[in-house]
Order: sequence, then C-alpha cells, then structure tokens
Amino acid sequence: MTLISIAAACLLAGAVFALVLRSNVQRGLASVVSQAAATVCVLWVVIPVLGGAPELHASLNWSYPVETVAAHLDALGAFFLSWSLPMTLLGTIYALGYLRPHFSSRHAGVHFVLLNLTSLSFLTIYTVESAFVFLLGWEIAAVAAWLLVIWDHRNQKVRFAGFNYLVSTHVGLFILVAAFMTISSRTGSMDFQSFAPFLQTPGALRDVTFVLLMLSFALKSAFFPFHTWLPRAHSAAPAHVSALMSGVIHKAGLFGMLRFILLLGKPEPWMGWFLIVLGWLSALVGVLYTTAQRDLKRLLGYSSTENVGIAGVGFGMGCLGLSTDQPALVALGFTGGILHILNHAFFKCLLFYAAGAVYRSAHTVDLERLGGLARRMPWTSGFFLVGGLASSALPPFNGFVSELLLFSGLLGSSADAGMPRVMLVSAASVMAFVGGASALAMTRAYGMTFLGGPRDSSIHTEGEVGLAMRIPMLLHTLGVVVLGVWPASGLLLIGHAVGLFTGGAIPSQVTSALTSISGLGALLLLVFGGLVLLRLALTRGMTARQHVTWACGYTGVTPRMQYTSTSFSLQFGVMFDAVLVRLRRQQLPQEPFPRAQGHLHTHCVDAVERRLFEVMGEGDTLVARTAGQIPESTRVSFAAGLVVIVGLLALLLTGTG
Amino acid sequence: MQLRTLMVQLAVMLVMPILVVGVINRTKAMWAGRRGPPLLQTLFDLKRLLHKQPVYSQTTTSIFKLGPLVLLASALVAALIAPITGAAGPVSFAFDFVAFASLWGLGRVFMMLAALDTGSAFEGMGASREATYAALLEPGLFMALGTLAGGAGHTSFAQLLDVAPRSAGEVLITALCVVCLLVVLQVEGARVPVDDPATHLELTMIHEVMVLDHSGVDLAVIQFASALKLMVCAALVATLINPFHGASASWLALGVNLGLTLAVAVLVGTSESLVARLRLRILPRYVLVALTSGFLALLVSAARYGSGAAP
Repeated sequence: MTLISIAAACLLAGAVFALVLRSNVQRGLASVVSQAAATVCVLWVVIPVLGGAPELHASLNWSYPVETVAAHLDALGAFFLSWSLPMTLLGTIYALGYLRPHFSSRHAGVHFVLLNLTSLSFLTIYTVESAFVFLLGWEIAAVAAWLLVIWDHRNQKVRFAGFNYLVSTHVGLFILVAAFMTISSRTGSMDFQSFAPFLQTPGALRDVTFVLLMLSFALKSAFFPFHTWLPRAHSAAPAHVSALMSGVIHKAGLFGMLRFILLLGKPEPWMGWFLIVLGWLSALVGVLYTTAQRDLKRLLGYSSTENVGIAGVGFGMGCLGLSTDQPALVALGFTGGILHILNHAFFKCLLFYAAGAVYRSAHTVDLERLGGLARRMPWTSGFFLVGGLASSALPPFNGFVSELLLFSGLLGSSADAGMPRVMLVSAASVMAFVGGASALAMTRAYGMTFLGGPRDSSIHTEGEVGLAMRIPMLLHTLGVVVLGVWPASGLLLIGHAVGLFTGGAIPSQVTSALTSISGLGALLLLVFGGLVLLRLALTRGMTARQHVTWACGYTGVTPRMQYTSTSFSLQFGVMFDAVLVRLRRQQLPQEPFPRAQGHLHTHCVDAVERRLFEVMGEGDTLVARTAGQIPESTRVSFAAGLVVIVGLLALLLTGTG
Repeated sequence: MQLRTLMVQLAVMLVMPILVVGVINRTKAMWAGRRGPPLLQTLFDLKRLLHKQPVYSQTTTSIFKLGPLVLLASALVAALIAPITGAAGPVSFAFDFVAFASLWGLGRVFMMLAALDTGSAFEGMGASREATYAALLEPGLFMALGTLAGGAGHTSFAQLLDVAPRSAGEVLITALCVVCLLVVLQVEGARVPVDDPATHLELTMIHEVMVLDHSGVDLAVIQFASALKLMVCAALVATLINPFHGASASWLALGVNLGLTLAVAVLVGTSESLVARLRLRILPRYVLVALTSGFLALLVSAARYGSGAAP
C-alpha cells in the first residue's frame, strides 16, 4: 500500500510542476509523466490482487476529525483502479493534442492539474474504507470534473452546462451523505466494514438506506431519470473530458452500487427488481434519445445512459440471484455487468476521442452539417467505426461479449417460472430492441459524419489529426478488438472481482460462453478473410470503372439532397413522440414570391430536463395559482378539503395501527 | 463438430437458397398464369453478374466494397449456427441464437453503411427504413426464442426448436412462434407485404433501394447473401414444425425439413401473389405483430408452467 501513497505523491508533484513550468507543452508533459509513474506504481500493486493475491489492508494515522483512515484494496477496487488510471493517462496524452491550438493563448496548467487530481480521487474512492474520506474523494472528482468541463468558460452556454452539472452532482452528494449518516448513526462508526452488520439485517431502515444509496449512485452514473446533467455537460466539455467523465469518472457510481451490494450480503428480491427496472428504463430511454440527437457529443452522452442501464440490468440480475440463491444468475449477472463496465469504458472513450478529432478537424460536431470526412480522416473514420460497432454489441467486438452473458442470464431457465420469467424475458426483448436501436443510432452517427458528401459546403476540413490524438484512439481500438476476439482476457481482469459475489468460483457456463465467443469471432474473421481472397481472385484482370453515383439515373444530385440525420431517424422517432420532444424554430416563407429568407431549426431536447426546469421555474406560480383558486372555486376547495381529510385519516390510521 | 454434419449443412447452405428463390418465383408466376423462370434462374443470374465489370462511384470509400463481403460472411456464419437441416448445426453452443441475431445485425449495419456511402438520397432512404424495421423486429424474435427457451437445458438454437407439441397449450405456443418467424422472414427476406423485391420503384422498396449502386461481383454477393437469409428463415420455420427433428442427424429428418422449407417457399410465393404490399405508415404495426405473437406465446407458456408443472 505504500506504493499507492507514492503514486498519490507522484500525482501531487506532477500537479505542482504543471502549475510552475514555463510552457504549456512542458506542463502537459509533466502531467503525463507523473500520471505514467503513478500508473506504474498502482498497476504494480493492483495486478497481484487481480491475480488472486490476498487483499491489502492498511491504516493511515490522521488527525481530527478522522483519527485513522482504514484502506482496503480488494479485487473489486483493484479492478476499477487497473483501468481508471491508464485511461486517464491516455486522456491526458489526447489533451496535449486536442488543446494545442489554445496553448499559445491560455495557461493550460490548471487543466492538467485537474486531470492529475481526478486520478488522485480514483486512488481515494477505490481504496479507502472510511466513508468520510470516500466522500472527500467523491467531491474532489465532482469538482475537478466541473472545472474540467468549463474549459471554454468564456461561452455562457458552457458555464451554464458546468453549473447544471455541479448542482446535480451535489444533489447526489447530499443523498449519499444522508444515507451514510443514517447508517453511521446506527453503527456508530464511519468505516464501510462496520456498515456490514447493519446492512445485512433486514428491516425498514435498511430498505430506505438501500434506496437512498442507489438513487445517489444512479445520479452519479447518469441513470434515467437522473441523467439531465449529462447531455449538456458532454456537449460543452472538451472531448477528452467528456471521454473521461463518461468512461471513467462516472463509473464510480457503479462501483458504489457494487460495493454496497457486496455489503448487503443477501438482498431482498425487490432490490434486484428495482435495479433491473432502473437499468431497463435507462437503457430504453437512453437509446431513444441517442437516435434523435444532432450533436455528436450529446448523442454519445445519451449512449452512456443506455450502457450504464445495461450494466444496471446485469447488477439487478445478480442481486436477484443472490436473494433467491441461484448461483448461475449471480455469476452471469455480475460477470456481464462488470465486463460491460470495462467494455463501455473502452469503446466510449474511443468514440469521444474520435468525435473530438472530428471537432478539431471540421470545427463542428453538428451531424446536419457534416459528411464525407472518411476520405480526409481515414484513421479517425476507422476508429469511430470500430467504436460504433462495439457500442451496438455486434460481433466480433467487445460489446457483444457482455451482452451475450446478460442474455444468457435473462433467458436461461434459472429464473422461477411464471411472472419472474415473463419479466426477465421481457427485459431481454427490451435489451434486444435497445441493441437494434443502438445499431440505428451508430450507423446514423458514422454515416452522417464520415460517408457521403458534406451537407454544408462551407465546412472546411483540416485533415487527419496529430499523433497525440491518434495514439490513445489506437490503443482503445486494440482493447476493443482484443476483448472481443479473446474475451478470456477480460475474465482475467474481472475474475476475482466477480468471485467476491459468487463466493469464489467462476462457473463453467461463463467460461464456456467466452470460449464459444472466441471461436465464433475467429470463424467470422476466417470466413471474411476467405471471401476477400475469393473476391480478389474473381476480379483479377477486371478493371473497375469510376463514375458518379447512379441512384436510378438521376443526374442532378447535390450533397444537399442526401438523407440528413433528422430524416434518417424520423420514421423511428415519430413512434416515440411522447418521449422525444422536438423543438422547432421556424420562419417559413409565406407568399408565392417570398422576399425574406426563411429558416427552420429543429432540436431534440430532453423531456425530463424540460419538465424539471418548468417545475423549478414556474412551479411556485403553479402552486400559487392553484392555492389562489381555493377561495374562489368551490370545486377546487372541495378537492383540497378532501385531500386534507384523507391525509389526516391516513396519518391517524398508520400512527395508531 | 462432425464432418458429416458440416458437409450436409454446407451443401444445404449452397444449394437451397437458389431453389427457394426459384420456387417462390415459380409460384408467383403460376398464380399470375405464366410459366415462369427456370428453378435455377438465380444461379444463372449469379454467373452472369460475376463476369460483369463493376462500376464504382467516386463518392464511395472502401466501405462500399467491404459491405457485401461482411454481409455474406455474417450470413454464412449465421447459417452455420442455425439448425436448418432438422438437427443441430455444426456450430452450436448455449445461447447461440443471440449470436445468430447479432451476426445478422452486423451484416445489416454494413449494408446500411454501404448505402449511405453513395451519398444518394434513395439509398439513404432505404437505409433509414431498414434500420427502423429491424429495430422493431428484434424484440419480437427474442420474445419468441426466449419463450421456447423455457425448458430446462434448452439453450442452443437446435434444442430450442426441438419442440414436440403434446398438448393444446404447446401447439398454441408453437403456432404463435411460427407466426413470429414468418413475420421475421418477410422483414429480413424482403418479401411482400413488407417489401417488394420485384418492382424497381424506389418509393416502394427497402432492400432493393439500398443496393442500387452495387454491380458485378458485389451485386452477386448481395443477391446470394439475401437468398441465404431467406432460406434460413424458411428452414427455421420448417425445423420448428418438423415432426422428425432430433439432436442426431437422420436422412428422414433432413428430407422432411427440405420439403417443408420448399413448402414454406410456396406459402411465401402464394402470399406475395394474393396480398398487396402495405403502406409504409402502417408497416411498423405489422412488424409489431411479431412482438405481439411472441409476447402471447410467453404468457401462454408462463400460464402453463407457472403453476410449477414440469415443462
């Protein structure tokens, strides 16, 4: 554990150097070097624990108000640490390339300091046992993320998005503090291990605490309906910050869920169903919004909501298995869920880095204006394609592996027959719909950005981005491909973490499923390779002609006539009008020979956020208006009176009964 | 996997698609009072296309050339998983039907990308429609397959379809799953009333319009892959209703299965001749018939087995 302290010291030293050095490039490099050193130290400690070495305990002496801080590194924390720090390092390397145009005009030192502090917060969150220090790490991560988001603080929209994120994350913090205070008032201590006896005895207070904890972690990880801060924050932040937030920082919420499920011991069945329904809703609504966005980074933000929903379904399944003593369900649920966290981190960071490369090159991420970037940016185009295919859970990439495991659990016969089975199969078919809609969304995102021709001819592309931005993308792509074609590598990382839930062993179903996936991936690549060779043999000696797009012989085609992102998802989107709220700003030409130029602007807004702002903004006038009607309208006063009488009766009955 | 199973499966995969498309076209011709094309017409078309010089648009990238190959590769591997011979396929593992659906999804995504690559409004329209109906179809397919997976140990595709209906409830479940699979056939195989493969009016097409710009080798690959997907759908229906199915391959089961596949092809040809194509506005409702029948099958299965009786 001293290595972890050394890592923390490296990060702090790097932060100091990042403030003090002269040029922005030197500051960035100081941050990168310190993070690399910290990563090496942490991996040195973490890899043996992942391989089965005993858990590490340590205690630091501190002063008031916590006398000693207990630190405990088990397989779960080790798993999260093993990829959080390397991915933050890759994000910092990306930032060196992404922020370069601003290096001559701004002091980027604070930005690199904040990236170091984010890594430091991971060290805190994933290892400490004291709830107090956990909250400190949580807060550092939240505030650092806020300050990273408002890099472009001269833009008012960016400042608002950052503020929105700050308020939302602190609401989550308050709920978390409430839960911790409830538990520590019963146990008298702030250590997680002392929470275990309280959390393992069934009771009404345990149920309430569970709900509070899960709500707080759901808000941190952007489950529906607590995701309202996510699209604005992702759209406003620089690409590497969005990537790190979506892929790494907000996984701390999922870590919290897993840690407290572990402390619960044997949860009640309704807790598993609660998580399944929460995950199911997030996946469904997230994917619907993903299909309707025109801003590429907002789209990827909603896709994060969808993917944490899928992981939530896995955790719910595992909880259900724990409460009904079905080891197969436990193993498949937690393996699928935890593996999906890893897979999502890999492909979501990749997608955000590619979106950042698009922004750096074309200066816009509006799908309505982009098009045809594949010719100028072949590397970025290939990376985005791999990320998009992985996100849609298609073989042979890594998203498919975790989805297959989750389907195995949902459709397997280990659930009780009757209503539970109907619910699980329905959840599986909803997940199939989410997969299909996600394929639509990613095809749309990739097709509109990289294929065809530019829909706005005023877009000027600067070509492929530099090496600093391409290397993180390449490494993430390698991770996506390796985890997809050889999924046992993922099991190496998560095996012991899942073992904490299943009581040690990984059942043969999981390992045989992973072996089958490897075989399938290999077969697919083999057949594809064979077909490529066959095609080359068949077309040898035949030269292909180049011409314009035929498209049924219409010759006056312009790039403006292509399908736009709105039209691509229109037929799908109109079926879900209740959820997808579209704002339309228009001034259409009126007369037969119009003189003024018309305009039409459509935008898909978040329904929950809109209602939230409505209630917050107009809520008091709504209440005042209703209250003002009581003395005037007899109907309203009768209704109010009835409500009061029923409420009083209910209180009396529950109080006495 | 045994060599004999692999050989039989490969033979069926390479020969039956041609016959199925031939039988469908012959049936339609007979309903229209004509003699119709020869049964092996698709084979002659493929041979002709392989000799043609392809023309590529300047707007397209390498995705346009890779798309058909990914479609065929995914269709071939999916056909190796599917139990189209009345017995288990050569590639069979627990929950392989999820891999089956995902492989078809991979092929579909690449076809849509190849369509968007051309930068044409028509192909984009086809891609948009294809994406919408496929997303609506997936939950129905999983509902039906999930219902069939209710029994203990029934987790691979071949085991799922290995139902021997003994009671009225099981017959009802099988019938509802057949309805669901027929809708899947019509959507994935691009048949009336969902899509019309015969007209070349772009406003009525989904799959045909996506491949307007492909020519030569690419078009041959796409036509064969589409025929293969159509044959696999028909063969799945055949396996489900085949009374001689089993885990071990037998010539009787294979023969009956091939016969039933051609019977399904005749049914498809008949429905194409008698039913008009639905308007695009109400197509989503038709696709949701698959979801509804799958859900009904699930409820019937839950009512039957929910009381604790052994399946």
